[in-house]
Amino acid sequence: MTAVAEALSQPEGSISALSETSGRAALALRVTGTLAVVGVVATAWLGLFVTPNDVNMGDLVRLLYIHPPMAWVAFVAYGIASLSSLLYLWPRTRHPRFDRMAGASAETGVVFTGLTLVTGSIWGRPTWGVWWTWDPLLTTTALLFVLYLGYLALRRVPGDSEAVAKRAAVASLVAFVDVPIVYFSVSWWRSLHQAPTVDLTGRHLYVHGSMAWTLLLGFVSFTLVYAWLVGHRYRLSTLRQREADECLTAAVAERQQEGQS
Amino acid sequence: MTARPVAQASAKRLWAAGVIIVAALGFLMFKGLTSAITFFKTANEAMAARAQLGNSDFQMEGTVVRGSVHHVGTDVYRFTVESSGVKVDVENTGEPPQMFRPGLPVVVVGHFVGSSDLFASDEIMVKHSQSYIAAHPGRVRAADGSTR
Repeated sequence: MTAVAEALSQPEGSISALSETSGRAALALRVTGTLAVVGVVATAWLGLFVTPNDVNMGDLVRLLYIHPPMAWVAFVAYGIASLSSLLYLWPRTRHPRFDRMAGASAETGVVFTGLTLVTGSIWGRPTWGVWWTWDPLLTTTALLFVLYLGYLALRRVPGDSEAVAKRAAVASLVAFVDVPIVYFSVSWWRSLHQAPTVDLTGRHLYVHGSMAWTLLLGFVSFTLVYAWLVGHRYRLSTLRQREADECLTAAVAERQQEGQS
Repeated sequence: MTARPVAQASAKRLWAAGVIIVAALGFLMFKGLTSAITFFKTANEAMAARAQLGNSDFQMEGTVVRGSVHHVGTDVYRFTVESSGVKVDVENTGEPPQMFRPGLPVVVVGHFVGSSDLFASDEIMVKHSQSYIAAHPGRVRAADGSTR
């Protein structure tokens, strides 16, 4: 998360100034990226070669080390997008950087929700026997995916930048309502999907030994992947904004010169 | 002069995307409100509502009783599921999933046959708990065959 914090604290300046003065942010991003790659490789190695088979699932248990961490990252991403949206909507903290942060985080969240749905489907076919079923958890997760796709589409509707940002911030908060519904769906309604293995509300871990450590490493690694992706996405949208602003300034100056000559 | 058609094309595309997203949302809400909330009836609930259920299709949950699984024909398996002490005989057509085994809960999709209490299913979905247990050869099984 340090990379994101770094990127957020960058003072506004020209494109060239950004690329020169953001040395620390770039370094933080690079370190985050390296740690993320090392973590994911270590998770894969532990998950594929070190951890034992499960009594019921056999080798299929190995999807445990990536599927829940991906779902977790999607939740974190939507949480940060909502927080940023709130900060944008609050008049005293309103700043375009929170709008860009919300967009970057929600976009990464959509990627991880997609990955959660895909890995879950691949896991479901051999274990449950079906690629997909309209179970409450699966249905609400599909809904989450579509809601945030809608949010991303809304961000691209042309218009006054502040109006677009406000509209998007409200939409992001509305979409977030589905996040707790997804998490608690397995305890509220009957489902095929089991309850979370990492029980956040009951503070209990339903897995032991090397399987538990690998799962926890998976959570840390994919969270780092998230921080890295968001950091880059945020930086990119900042650069795009600057480019648009500078182009506008240059075009206005040109027209003014034309008017004088 | 080229800016206008481009803007119109992108506006059209946005409308199309919007319509698709709203349609998808509507479909998911419908699915969520109709089937997902009562994803299955447990075996005891199904027996209690046997008369009302008739021969209609529904999803029934129960734990596969140990020693009840029999292969009675090509792709036809008979077994008993149990929930809260109530047992229901099931005849499934089709190869069961890899994880299908006695002692694990399943959701079977199908209906009661005629006026009997036999449940004919054409799909088995195996439930798994949130616990994962390392398999190793020396693991001791409890008297009922379960592992902890």
